[in-house]
Amino acid sequence: MSAFGNILLGGIFHAAVLFLVAAGLQLVFGVQKIVNLACGSFYALGAYFGITFVTLALKAGMPQWTLLPLLLVAGAVMAVVGPPIERILRTVYDRDESFQLLLTFAMVLMFQDIIRFLWGANPTSLDNVQLVYGKIVAGDFIVPVYNLLVIAAAIGAAALIGLFLQRTNYGRLLRATAENRTMAEALGVNVRGIYAAVFTLGTLLGTVGGALVVPTAAASLDMAVEVVIEAFAVVVIGGLGSMAGALAGSLLVGLIRAGSLVFYPEFEILAIYLIVIGVLLLKPSGLFGKPAA
Amino acid sequence: MKLSRRTVLKSIAATGAAATSPGVFAPAIAQAKPCRLGILAPRTGIAASPGISGLRATEWAVERFNAGGGIAGRKIELVIEEETSPKDTIERFQKLVQQDKVDCVLGIISTGVALALGPVVEESRALTIFWDGTTQDGVEEKLPNARYLFKSTDNECEAVMSSLLAIKHWKGQFKRIAGINPDYSYGRNNMAAFIALLKRFNIEHEVVTEQWPKVGTMELTSNVAALKAAKPDLIFSSLLFADLPVFMKQAAAAELTKGIKLVFPAAGFQHTLMKKDFTPEGMLFGHNTLYFDNPNATPMAKEFVAWYADKQKDYPNWEADRAYFALASYKAAVEAAAKAKGSAWPSNDDVIDAMVGLSVESLGGKGSWRKDHIADQTFVQGFSTHNNKYDFVTLDPARIETMYSADLQKPAGANFWEWLKTAQFKI
Amino acid sequence: MRRAPSVILIVAAVVALGLVPVLAPPFYANLLVPFYGYAIALLGFNLLFGYGGLLSFGHAMFLGLGAYGAAVIAGVWGIKEFEIVLIGAALAGLVVALPLGWLVVRYTGIFFGMLTLAFGMLTHSVLFKFYHLTGGDSGMRVPRMRLLGLEFAAYNKIELMAGPFYYYCLALMLIAAFLMWRIVHSPFGLHLRSLRDNAQKALYLGVRVHQFRLAAFVISAIYGAIGGAILGFRTGLADPELVYWTHSGHLVFMTVLGGFSSFLGPIIGALALTLLQDQLQSYTQYWRFVLGAILALVVIFLPRGLAGLAADVGSFLSSPRRRPGPVQLPEHSQPGVLGPGLRRDDVA
Repeated sequence: MSAFGNILLGGIFHAAVLFLVAAGLQLVFGVQKIVNLACGSFYALGAYFGITFVTLALKAGMPQWTLLPLLLVAGAVMAVVGPPIERILRTVYDRDESFQLLLTFAMVLMFQDIIRFLWGANPTSLDNVQLVYGKIVAGDFIVPVYNLLVIAAAIGAAALIGLFLQRTNYGRLLRATAENRTMAEALGVNVRGIYAAVFTLGTLLGTVGGALVVPTAAASLDMAVEVVIEAFAVVVIGGLGSMAGALAGSLLVGLIRAGSLVFYPEFEILAIYLIVIGVLLLKPSGLFGKPAA
Repeated sequence: MKLSRRTVLKSIAATGAAATSPGVFAPAIAQAKPCRLGILAPRTGIAASPGISGLRATEWAVERFNAGGGIAGRKIELVIEEETSPKDTIERFQKLVQQDKVDCVLGIISTGVALALGPVVEESRALTIFWDGTTQDGVEEKLPNARYLFKSTDNECEAVMSSLLAIKHWKGQFKRIAGINPDYSYGRNNMAAFIALLKRFNIEHEVVTEQWPKVGTMELTSNVAALKAAKPDLIFSSLLFADLPVFMKQAAAAELTKGIKLVFPAAGFQHTLMKKDFTPEGMLFGHNTLYFDNPNATPMAKEFVAWYADKQKDYPNWEADRAYFALASYKAAVEAAAKAKGSAWPSNDDVIDAMVGLSVESLGGKGSWRKDHIADQTFVQGFSTHNNKYDFVTLDPARIETMYSADLQKPAGANFWEWLKTAQFKI
Repeated sequence: MRRAPSVILIVAAVVALGLVPVLAPPFYANLLVPFYGYAIALLGFNLLFGYGGLLSFGHAMFLGLGAYGAAVIAGVWGIKEFEIVLIGAALAGLVVALPLGWLVVRYTGIFFGMLTLAFGMLTHSVLFKFYHLTGGDSGMRVPRMRLLGLEFAAYNKIELMAGPFYYYCLALMLIAAFLMWRIVHSPFGLHLRSLRDNAQKALYLGVRVHQFRLAAFVISAIYGAIGGAILGFRTGLADPELVYWTHSGHLVFMTVLGGFSSFLGPIIGALALTLLQDQLQSYTQYWRFVLGAILALVVIFLPRGLAGLAADVGSFLSSPRRRPGPVQLPEHSQPGVLGPGLRRDDVA
């Protein structure tokens, strides 16, 4: 039973991190109709900067327990790359989607080298800070409190985004723009501002996701292109542009991965793609997406 | 990291100019044009870390050799190209050989690239010495009579050594074994070699789970949970990239690594990231062919490690030794052939003949070249300890084990798996 | 596209390419062999993208199919005739693309891109996982093959690549380009374009949308597989990197760099990127950054790619008064006018 608990939590933890990245992807797609391949680069950027920031802060005498807030701040700080990139993307808003996709692909190429230039090619990691919040032990069932905090942070993010989109005025404007940009613009919505805000928020989700995962993982150059693929699987399963889809999709991917590791490890990555294709066959728009046809 | 091609050329030119003690050949060929060496090493992607280590060792060795007069009186000049995908690396190799007209190509870490490049090397008739990238499927291959290509020791050597050490020290103390190995031929072969050796020595065992995370997977909590659920007595893992410290960290947090035997033949790949907080003492820890803190190291190796620590703020891993070995072998072979023939600069064929059977003192210990153009080198493994001045684990000095690869790799022409079943191992 | 590219220029270009092995150092002939592979693959890719308006982000899987096909046919089965390998690769492309295409052509725009990406990555992980069959990360060897039944025993492989195989690939590319020219100027090509520009309208007019898109998908897959077989022979190895999603990205990169709204654009793009990457890699270790920056600049300022730039320069020189603006979009890429089919709402 405790083994089951460990596996379940492992899957949920994985899902929590994936959710943050996928949510950024969904938000940007939902409103701006841009598939942002660079979301993985933001994730990597958050991770690298998180390590630098926390290391410096701890050296400067910050107490260990500030780890989580420090990482959140690091992620938030890195979101500054959002607005300039949005400014570049703005030049192709009126073109077709292939140009936008390609421009984000160009970002992927550039960020790979920018990160290598700044942090070098060796993987880096934070010294063991994962256990500063202790762990919960019940027999064989062991979970670091930090992992639970990350899961809570992801749930918190999901709730905040949901509330923001559903309950606030700005959220309504945002949804209206997503629904019909021309109409929103005609009604006086500052679409340009909304786009900038949405893209920055999407970036923020990616960088915060990257920063939060750092205490349990390491930052490496290939994390950017690797996470994109998993985030895409989440998004396709959940349905493009749907926040609920991102949540369900990441949970599904996280749990399937954890489950297949126990029952048939060879199946791990394949299982995810097979689910992706299964969903596409049975419900092409994804579990929560608007029908494409 | 600042090792761009230009800076290397510049720094080498500088040391060359400052050299005060020209070698024996210098007077005769003082105006000789430099000896151009092509380097192919990865700078990004998963293999970037060993790539950088090898590049730095090359830089160090070139400075050192040039200060001593270069190779047979010719100063060394490097042309560095990046090892990427097999297709692109072949193009870079051909550029080095055909455009830059280098005298010798050194480098290559990935087995996939090595496999594709092997035939090209032979057809180009360009002397080439691989640093690494000799996983079994590659060794057992289709280039049995390589002439121009010199290959590194089998990648499985370290797994064979760890398996033998695990049997020697822990026989009877484990039964349920689990594996977590990278999902590519190297990881697969290592695990299979471990199991084959357990069978060979009639060790009763039961494989309770085998995990194959994709290379570069950074989220291993689920793997850790699955391993924990299998309740192993021993975990064999040849994880070697950034996923290794991640695994150790997540395993320590889940108390997976507490009280069980750990056999990690490739842990030295990430030695500086294996922090004491989450890496237990007493694990079987492989450093391949270079252990930077080896108390028995030669003065030269100690000087190199000191330079590396001072200049790069880091400690070298085994690829540094491989790179040094390749370069020093070439230098020794050229000079031996020149001496034998009494010529200023020997032909490629003479150099190749001089390479066979040649022994060189490399950074990690003795190395030599077999008749079939495969290297023999000295491997170092041992048991981890926290008793050191670093924040990561090192080897317990009292329990360092050293083996020469002649006892760890199959003889020329043999099949690896057949050899494992019949070889006489020295335990 | 409408204006036939100047015949003289094309002949001159072919002659220039033909002279490369004679005049340039052998390195360049070797460097250009992969270019022919990419050029053929991109001719097919652009039928889908430029003419059909369907952006595939997993097209590298077909190159992989061709390379692995060559490895199986020539390496495992020992049939060392390159022509048979080409036919086999084309058949493999056909067999895989039919069911796959049936599945994916129901979508356009970003959905199509994501689907093809998902299938590409599925292929990648299959190649990686089933390593007993595929060699996993080390891939499968592609042995040396005969060309037109000739052994060319006097040549080593490098000489083979720089001589006979070079001309073989040049001829193959010309044939492939000629066939593609016929395809895009046939009623089929016209239908395809009408689908791209307005699928709804084309549907009303009785164009069988899915069938046409499926046909384009299959043809592009066959071209991709043939290009992949060339790459496989050249490299001597089929490896999973060929199928990784960033390689698909590079295919799109080449197409856009050359200009997808022009028939020859993809070929120009393949040539430009091959030469550019070679130069950049020698110049800086941060060549990926430079490539990314170039891609971004092309996307923003040269949406019609090098081919478009050349056409603008040409028309500027011939009649200064009709000078186009610096960033003139191709008709179908202008705002308001439908793009190459990538709008969500034209999904049929």
